[in-house]
Amino acid sequence: MKNLIYTALFGSLLIFSSCQDEETPATMALNIELEHVLAGQALELNGKSFTLPSGEDFTPKKFKYYISNVELRNSVSGETYVEPESYHLISEDGNKSIDLGMVPSSDYDQLVFSIGVDEIANGKTDQTGDLDPNSDMAWNWNTGYKFLVLEGEFTNSKTNERQGLVMHIGTNPNYKTITQPLSGVRAGKATTLTLNSNLDELFLDPNTLEVSELESTTIMFGELAGKVADNYSEGFISIK
Amino acid sequence: MEKLSKLLLIIGFTLIWACSSDEEPMILDPEIHYYIPAVSPTLRVAGFPQPDRNMISEEGVALGRKLFFDPKLSANSRVSCATCHSPALAFTDGLALAKHGVSGKELHRTSPPIFNLPWQSEGLFWDGGAHDLESLNFGPLTHPDEMGADLNELVAYLESDPEYKKHFNLVFGEEEIQSAQVSRAISQYVRSLISQDSKYDRWKRSEEVLSDLELKGYQLYQKNCSSCHQEGLFTDRSFHNNGLDKAYPDPPELEGLFLGRYRISSNPKDLGAYKTPTLRNISLTAPYMHDGRFETLDEVLNHYQNGIQINETLAPELSEGIALNTSEKEALKAFLRTLTDSVFLQKHQKTN
Repeated sequence: MKNLIYTALFGSLLIFSSCQDEETPATMALNIELEHVLAGQALELNGKSFTLPSGEDFTPKKFKYYISNVELRNSVSGETYVEPESYHLISEDGNKSIDLGMVPSSDYDQLVFSIGVDEIANGKTDQTGDLDPNSDMAWNWNTGYKFLVLEGEFTNSKTNERQGLVMHIGTNPNYKTITQPLSGVRAGKATTLTLNSNLDELFLDPNTLEVSELESTTIMFGELAGKVADNYSEGFISIK
Repeated sequence: MEKLSKLLLIIGFTLIWACSSDEEPMILDPEIHYYIPAVSPTLRVAGFPQPDRNMISEEGVALGRKLFFDPKLSANSRVSCATCHSPALAFTDGLALAKHGVSGKELHRTSPPIFNLPWQSEGLFWDGGAHDLESLNFGPLTHPDEMGADLNELVAYLESDPEYKKHFNLVFGEEEIQSAQVSRAISQYVRSLISQDSKYDRWKRSEEVLSDLELKGYQLYQKNCSSCHQEGLFTDRSFHNNGLDKAYPDPPELEGLFLGRYRISSNPKDLGAYKTPTLRNISLTAPYMHDGRFETLDEVLNHYQNGIQINETLAPELSEGIALNTSEKEALKAFLRTLTDSVFLQKHQKTN
């Protein structure tokens, strides 16, 4: 039944589009740019001080993460574009864009992607491209990838001392898939989408992390890493 | 590209298959000779598991061997894989905790013997943290206290060496050398290290007889040791707490290094558990245990007799200890010596 509706829909679309003067090209260019923000300001490494949601001042030194398995969906027509071999290492001091190249033309209204590396790719590290272990994102003693790395220094609000903060989040349960609504993507029209990565959200919603209160400020495995992952699964990356 | 070459490989395979008789070697590319290493029934395994994404070939093994013995892979050009895994000592280094990495700092675990690894399906390293050899190799290659390599510099070195360049292109059929290929080649070499020609193996194949003392030792082994050191590979490939320590320190900077298998599994039952090492070539792989704390087999046997530390995760088989009198210990050690494989050792000596 559904298929019939789609066929009818598709048919009518064809008829409709054939009445137009110019034909919609079969493919369209689609590019995604990422912007990193902390405390409402553009992120900078190794110098500038930012205020964490819990109030401590914080100097970030490293910020990297994987975005993988990018999909475009048209929820009206059911059309879906899945990027093949879709692994993108995004870093503040490196690449901050995902060029999907020419994708099939459609009025896509949803963007789906994951933070981290899926279980199959995460099971081995002899890989190439953005998964090449030369990028310091592979764990060598426990096979798999770091999904998100944030490192820097903060001032402990209790001791007033400068202290290191290290977040290395990985492992399969912390692979999170995110769906974002798109507006304004039109079939045949080259589009650049801008995504906003808001670092405050790593410390907020649903889990509030006060770095001065943490038992260890090296967050790698276990419960605390899971809390950060829950935080990045909600509100961390959104369409600008 | 990888997919295309795999497809070509499959097509090639099908073509060869169609026109070859049973016993001919698999030749997919005129210059690449894939093969399945021969496996003795005395290993008690179901043949050689050929990994799909890194099929073993004569040329790949030769390349891996060259890499294995090349100290230029390391940050200071002085440490090769063979520094810690010397063929003469059944691919160990004879040290408890070595300091011969590029930093000179003492390591936290002893280097394990690396043979018969195609059947180590439950993970590699003492705690099983590495899923496979291809993933494991990046550990020792890049660890700052081991070979300390920067993978980009390592690949640049290999690219600049015409012999390596040619060899990599031949084995992997790609324009550029990648770190993944370096690890794959080393993995092929390591998978070719199969120890299966000891006196024990010849005895089981009815090619030789054991002495009365060795036979007595074999029976003692079967009764006291074989539940974990299972006959064939002489390991159950699993992880056990064999009563070395009562409690486990956990300094945050070492990321759970002293917790055993728990570090990987997060399962409280795995606290203090390490992989059962093989007994094959045991006479050559001293010192013993994951941290090399016992220098001799006598110390190991004394541990099992009197030294077991009891806590919640202790392997139940060891709760009473293993009591052997002096003559039984001598017999058991005589049997363990039959597991030394001089054919294997000679075959893999570095001769050039």
